[in-house]
Amino acid sequence: MSFVAQNDLVAPADLLADYGDPASRRGTHDELLGADGTVKAHWQGFLAALSATSPAERVALSSALDRRVHQMGIAYDIFADPTAPTQRWTVDPVPLIISAGEWRWIEKALTQRVRLFDAILADIYGPQSLMRDGVIPPALIFSDPAFLRPCQGIRPPRGHLQFFASDLARSPDGSWRIIDTHTETPAGIGSALANRVAHTHVAGEMFKALKGRRVAGFFQDLQAAIADLNGHGAPRVALLTPGPQHDDYFSHAYLARYLGCLLVEGNDLRTDEDRVYLKTLEGLKEVDVIIRCVEGRNCDPLELDPSGFGGPVGLLQGVRRAPGLVTNAIGSAVVQNRGLGIFLPEICQRLLGEDLLIQDAPRRWLGDQTARSEVMGALDNIVIRSTQEGAGRPGRAAVGKRAANDGGDPATFARDLAMMGDRLVAEERVGFGTTPSLAAGGLAPVPFAVRLFVTRAGDGFTVMPGGLAMTIDPDVSLGLSSPEGKTRDVWVLGDSAHPAYSSLWRPTVEAAHVARSQRVTQSRAADDLYWLGRYSERADWTMRVLRSALQRQQEDGVPTDGRAASRRCLEVLLTDEPETAPPYREQADAAAIDRLTRALIAGTVGIRALPRTFDGLYRVASLTRDRLSLEAWQTLERFQPGSQWREALTASRSGAALDLLEEGLASLAAFAGLMHENMTRNFGWSFLDMGRRLSRAFNLSEAISVLFAQVPGDDLREDEEVASLRFLLEAADSFITYRSRYRLDPMLPLVLDLLLLDESNPRSLAFQLAAIANHLESMPQASQGIALPEERRKILQLTTAVRLADVRGLASGDRMELAKMMDQMIRDLPELSNTIARRYFSLLEAKPQRLRTRLGNSP
Amino acid sequence: MKYDISHKTLYRYEQPVLQSHQCLHLSPRLMPHQTVLKHALLIEPAPTVRHDSVDAFGNPVVLLEIDHQHDVFVVHATSTIAVSTPAPIAPSSSLPWEKVVDTVRNGAPPIDLSVLQFTCASRLTPPSRAVAEFVAPSFPKSRPMVEAVLDLTRRIFTEFRFDATATDISTPIDEVLRLRRGVCQDFSHLALACLRALKLPARYVSGYLLTRPPPGQEKLRGADASHAWISVWVPELGWIDFDPTNGVMPTNEHIAIAYGRDYDDINPISGIILGGANHTVSVSVDVDPA
Repeated sequence: MSFVAQNDLVAPADLLADYGDPASRRGTHDELLGADGTVKAHWQGFLAALSATSPAERVALSSALDRRVHQMGIAYDIFADPTAPTQRWTVDPVPLIISAGEWRWIEKALTQRVRLFDAILADIYGPQSLMRDGVIPPALIFSDPAFLRPCQGIRPPRGHLQFFASDLARSPDGSWRIIDTHTETPAGIGSALANRVAHTHVAGEMFKALKGRRVAGFFQDLQAAIADLNGHGAPRVALLTPGPQHDDYFSHAYLARYLGCLLVEGNDLRTDEDRVYLKTLEGLKEVDVIIRCVEGRNCDPLELDPSGFGGPVGLLQGVRRAPGLVTNAIGSAVVQNRGLGIFLPEICQRLLGEDLLIQDAPRRWLGDQTARSEVMGALDNIVIRSTQEGAGRPGRAAVGKRAANDGGDPATFARDLAMMGDRLVAEERVGFGTTPSLAAGGLAPVPFAVRLFVTRAGDGFTVMPGGLAMTIDPDVSLGLSSPEGKTRDVWVLGDSAHPAYSSLWRPTVEAAHVARSQRVTQSRAADDLYWLGRYSERADWTMRVLRSALQRQQEDGVPTDGRAASRRCLEVLLTDEPETAPPYREQADAAAIDRLTRALIAGTVGIRALPRTFDGLYRVASLTRDRLSLEAWQTLERFQPGSQWREALTASRSGAALDLLEEGLASLAAFAGLMHENMTRNFGWSFLDMGRRLSRAFNLSEAISVLFAQVPGDDLREDEEVASLRFLLEAADSFITYRSRYRLDPMLPLVLDLLLLDESNPRSLAFQLAAIANHLESMPQASQGIALPEERRKILQLTTAVRLADVRGLASGDRMELAKMMDQMIRDLPELSNTIARRYFSLLEAKPQRLRTRLGNSP
Repeated sequence: MKYDISHKTLYRYEQPVLQSHQCLHLSPRLMPHQTVLKHALLIEPAPTVRHDSVDAFGNPVVLLEIDHQHDVFVVHATSTIAVSTPAPIAPSSSLPWEKVVDTVRNGAPPIDLSVLQFTCASRLTPPSRAVAEFVAPSFPKSRPMVEAVLDLTRRIFTEFRFDATATDISTPIDEVLRLRRGVCQDFSHLALACLRALKLPARYVSGYLLTRPPPGQEKLRGADASHAWISVWVPELGWIDFDPTNGVMPTNEHIAIAYGRDYDDINPISGIILGGANHTVSVSVDVDPA
């Protein structure tokens, strides 16, 4: 996209057709057009670039951005519970543009606010003089559940606030007002960053040409400030999130990845002698700094809300030992109380000796009697909301309740307000200014609000030159609520004092060092990856068996005498305990096989039926999402519950099912390939691979057991055995290898050699066991003590059994040896899996439980 | 009166506990009518870390961490406390209750935060229309504060049945109000929710109560219990105790240990353990006049 700066440009009429004539917009404020209908100076460059594009190019830009947003996972929250409804998130190709001059003022105003809030927190959790002197009504603070008593007296060395965000709106007169404040968590800063990355990915040229300011410097400052929090450099930093079920999880994960810190949940941590440790495969590793994305009161069930297990038990005592441990400081949310706004001008004078630069939206705290009676007198334009908003996904601010619509008896309403007023605010609708949005015909004005972010840096604060703007419905919203998730990037134009950075991703030596020092494998991640390996292999095997069975049902030109094998393999997959598999019956007619394949494809019986397997696969994949590449993740998309592919497979008859199974197998093959090629060979990889190998070894053993552990007798003809061998070779993906090696019809000894004993065949049992043994040897704590750990003894037994086996003995006579060996595998492999889980994931197993006694069981 | 108090709690775990964190509010605080003559806290097994401090309400609090495996956990608090009888109060001579609200909530600075904080609802004492309806008959316009609170206390005593099986630790007060049953903790929380719905300063008190055996019988060892009641602040009179479970204004047979907004703030023993599976707990309390 080419771009020519033309300062005296007049916007082409076709782009602005939707804007209507200036008179119709009187009494509103628009970002793009002045009151006289002329384009404001700081928009002219963008408009020039945009008018140089054809409508088709604009549509292309828009869909490229949509695609990018979708791929990055901002669009619908791929981290979230896969069964939850998808969340909408779109990015408008037209950013909100802020001029360098206005930005200087905004920076000053926001920096003043964060200094002010930090000072208020120091007072509330310290001497409390603001409350004692009545500058802040004490009941406002004391009734706020975000005010955490046990934090009284804790003084974080660098203040309470590392992260700060303000939601701003333009009033009709063009002035900015604060519609909400965020002091609890980083408040969706990850989403803002992701929007920027997505937008500049598709429109980077335009961003550069306009001299938009980059946000990289802000994040470098943030990183340096966090590294400085524990006071001795190179800290191990963890971002504490409530987990994938939280609606802002995307933002947490994105920020953690960008900052190069660990993403942890409460149960990944534990305290020990007032220090906080991460549970890793290498044992407990001390954590020096916690970036808190969990609400303060849920951080420590010992001293804070007893039902909140968002942080490790005893965290608060850890904070008393090291007050810089958690940032933002626990308890910091109390100052985002909406009732505080009206008192800020006076507090600002008192604490900073300055005039407050930017005011809050006109809002009254209903704990105050005067405010209540005034509100009761003029209910028409009033909305009532809670004083506190949670730390949810940006755009989810509660819309509140229209006071006038309450409809009930005014006396009851007044009594309710009096009783509940401490936690309520009443707010007048002021209206929202508009900003241009890309519409079908060109640009159209839409009401908007914007979240801007501040971080502590060095001795002061720095404002992120960017932000997260959202389209607002002014009829229902007071705050940043955009249920449709219509967002836009915020471009701050540079000036001589702020040259553009050379690269957004320029790493600093310090940052690289921090990232390297944190390479540990969380026990939880290892557990999830292990299951990812197991589920993907389970899905692969089941689909292969189904494919072979369906082919025999369906196609002309394949031997139809493999039905007995089909039936046995299908049946065993439908039983959870192999030893209770129904005895072999000779009649394996087409109808029976049809029934079995249906049960496996669409049924709910048995843990290995495809729906459950796919659900499990997708769930663990989402849990390990932050360790998968975008491409690897995309290969698994079709396994999402309710996906088109899954619906089609469930509904399909055999012909169509075959095609769909081929597609599924191709996806899994691509996934396995990508993981194999791209995943760092750390312990996480070992667990993924072990999970896969264990499942494969088990499936193979089970199939050999049901197909060949009985002597062919009267009820099993010789040619039936050849058909079974062929079936097995297909299911185990070794048919071509066999053919190229022997050029013979399958014979049991040769097949067993290839599938059981040949360590060079990546599909053989021997290969799986050797791989597991290798992984276990490389584990941390693999060789502690004198005796071999249990899991290594087990794998040694199994590998030895296979290595000592004689293929002629296995295939001969009564098949007793084969049966014995396969039984050993079927029995010992699940046990090995349990042993591995006990040894490496056991730190996770213990769920904390709460003990308390009740008082007074006698009167 | 002088009392020897023994409060012993014993947890037995079915499986070893790997780690245990405990927060204890078992050490008596200083109160205007009470003197602590002796106090000791015995903990088994010996904690790995122990912090003795004072919480945000001025109560002694002990934080424990036990990092070695154990299957029994014992906390035994023994105290000798002298309690004097507060000066008698004529309920009808106190200020009208609206005046109390006004003084506390709208008084001129400097504001006494130690009182005002108790006018606000807490997690376990939320206001509701049901609560407002229940409290209204006791608080007609201009009724003297002490008289009104005493009336509320007595109504809870007469209209509610003591029933340890009807509620548990997590029963909300609206449910207690519906059931008309509960234990001292439930009744205290209900009374607090009522008073705070009116913006009156009221706090939760935990402690012990001297019990007497039925006439002619010997007192059973360990049969006393920890107890909870409430305390209400009245200008010029200060904090005055009321016991909704027994319908009385305590004199010298209630021994206070700690106060806070509700049970959560001053739960005698609250802990979180890793491991342990199922457990049994036995609590034995003796309050003996010394």
